[in-house]
Amino acid sequence: MPLLDIEDLHVQVEDQVILGGVHLTVAPGEVHAVMGPNGSGKSTLANVVAGRPGYEVLSGTVRLAGEDITHASPEERALQGLFLAFQYPIEIPGVSNMEFLKAAIDSHALARGEGAPSAAAFIRRARATAERLGLDAGFLKRGVNEGFSGGEKKRNEILQMLLLEPRIAILDETDSGLDVDAMQVVAAGVNDFRDTGNAVILVTHYQRLLDYIVPDHVHVLAGGSIIRSGDRSLAQTLDRDGYGWIEDAC
Amino acid sequence: MPASPQGPRAAEALCARLLGKGAVSYARAIDRDAARARIAADGLPVFRAEAWKYSNVGKWYQAALAPSRAPSVREICVPDGVELHRFDDPAAAPFLTKHLGTAIDLARHPLAAVNRILLGSGVVVRVPAGCRVDEPVNVDDIGAAYEHILLIVEPGAETALVETPTSATHRVVECIVAEGARLMHRRVQPRGQAPQCGLIAARVDEEAQYSLWLLARGSELRRNDIHVTLAGRGAEAHLGGAWRLAEREHLDNQVTVDHLAPECLSRQTFRGVVGGRARAVLNGRIHIAAGAQASDASLTTKSLLESADAEVYAKPELEIYANDVRCSHGATVGALDEAMLFYCESRGIDRDAARGLLLRGFLREAIGGEEAESVLTAGILSAGEAVRAIPTEADAATVGEAQ
Repeated sequence: MPLLDIEDLHVQVEDQVILGGVHLTVAPGEVHAVMGPNGSGKSTLANVVAGRPGYEVLSGTVRLAGEDITHASPEERALQGLFLAFQYPIEIPGVSNMEFLKAAIDSHALARGEGAPSAAAFIRRARATAERLGLDAGFLKRGVNEGFSGGEKKRNEILQMLLLEPRIAILDETDSGLDVDAMQVVAAGVNDFRDTGNAVILVTHYQRLLDYIVPDHVHVLAGGSIIRSGDRSLAQTLDRDGYGWIEDAC
Repeated sequence: MPASPQGPRAAEALCARLLGKGAVSYARAIDRDAARARIAADGLPVFRAEAWKYSNVGKWYQAALAPSRAPSVREICVPDGVELHRFDDPAAAPFLTKHLGTAIDLARHPLAAVNRILLGSGVVVRVPAGCRVDEPVNVDDIGAAYEHILLIVEPGAETALVETPTSATHRVVECIVAEGARLMHRRVQPRGQAPQCGLIAARVDEEAQYSLWLLARGSELRRNDIHVTLAGRGAEAHLGGAWRLAEREHLDNQVTVDHLAPECLSRQTFRGVVGGRARAVLNGRIHIAAGAQASDASLTTKSLLESADAEVYAKPELEIYANDVRCSHGATVGALDEAMLFYCESRGIDRDAARGLLLRGFLREAIGGEEAESVLTAGILSAGEAVRAIPTEADAATVGEAQ
């Protein structure tokens, strides 16, 4: 059974149709890259799958491990194992990263029918994971994304992904605004995360992230639907030739 | 039975009662003449008065006209080194003579004059010079409808006062913070039913520091007058207030900081969350007297509205008579940010808990510290909003500080 199955998804935002029939099937253990020019609907696809308000699903279904989540709340999707790394992570003043992460982890534990981890166990794990991403321990005490640099915000998204251990992680332009060093750290985090039971969707504009995280499948989203799918070489073609040919193809 | 008078007639009836011979008084040791003279001269304010336009004070007069309960003696424990005297104790007399009412301008605070006349129970709390008390002085209900707490923090002394006015119709907390002394005043006001008003008046002398944090719910009618006088050079006031109101709760905070001496500093930070058909008022006045050069004052107030029928009135007022000052103020009113809520939900945090996290973060801007956390959880957030087991500094310490 696929982990994520998107079938003929049509979505509009404020009376404008953005996605006009997207099909995408992701099996366990796979990494998919969704590429495309600006305004092609990449972020809409990422957000609508995560259940962000403001996107209206006109038709089609989204299934997570066989379960229809098309109209589920964002929280239900998250608890069933879906994770979205935000393109623009949100700042929450006055709430520490630690407090935020603990609330998220506790919710997941309770949803699995387990007890919440002890504060000490949680702190130990969060610190060790933060360290792997080059984030110092003081990072956990700071307000969520408050005053973080662009690179810290993206690393914080990966930190959350590693701690929440989703079944499917959608990374929405996680590479944007990262220098090469930060990109390598983020890529190492994603590569650590990958295993045969989970899957990753990389939404990106550029192929450079794919030098570090090698995808199994590459899809080109343009004009609201996937117009071409292939292997890694498709990303290289896009990088060489740009997106101009797509507009001709549409 | 005749209907009890309302509005201006209630004010008149109460004036007559207060000035007549029949006014019952319990605490006999104090001088009431100044209060009577003030009321005889000015009467009592009515709803139409500018300072009272958001609070229907007539309801409070009705409560004041009802026979007040006889005071009961409540046990009050104070930490070692701190003295406590009831107003009727002979030992209280020198402190009453020297300090009672010195921080209070009855012309500005007419209900404090009512309190003086009807006073049922009063205590003097004295922290002797140089005495630093780690444990806070706790004062809850002191047993009367009209209460006065006179706290004297003598030169160089340091203490914290934690007080919870529960059933008083009117409570005065008068704080004398002498040279170089420090007072941390924490007030917690649980949700109430009956009309309740009160005055916190603090006089802060040279190089002394007064901090207040107020965590409040409302009642049918609740008004807090807070008046801090920075009377000596280099005095400081740090005022923080956080409140959450629902249904028909009412909370009116009238705050004045008077900079009378040079080189004083004041900071005021207020955060309110208002839902239902509740009404929150914050009137924050900063007054800088002509001689108070190099004053540094700021006030910010932010409110979150949780419903379309909730009302927030936020009015900063600056009155500056010196020419070398730094003053700023700001007020905003908004709603909880949907993007923040979605961010929390996308991490599996349910909507109520997400609201709780965000509200906690918002209110913390006004009152911080671990003491505030449990009160926030118990007094301000609903059960669904109260996030379980927040990791604390103590938890972090058990794992070893990596910083």
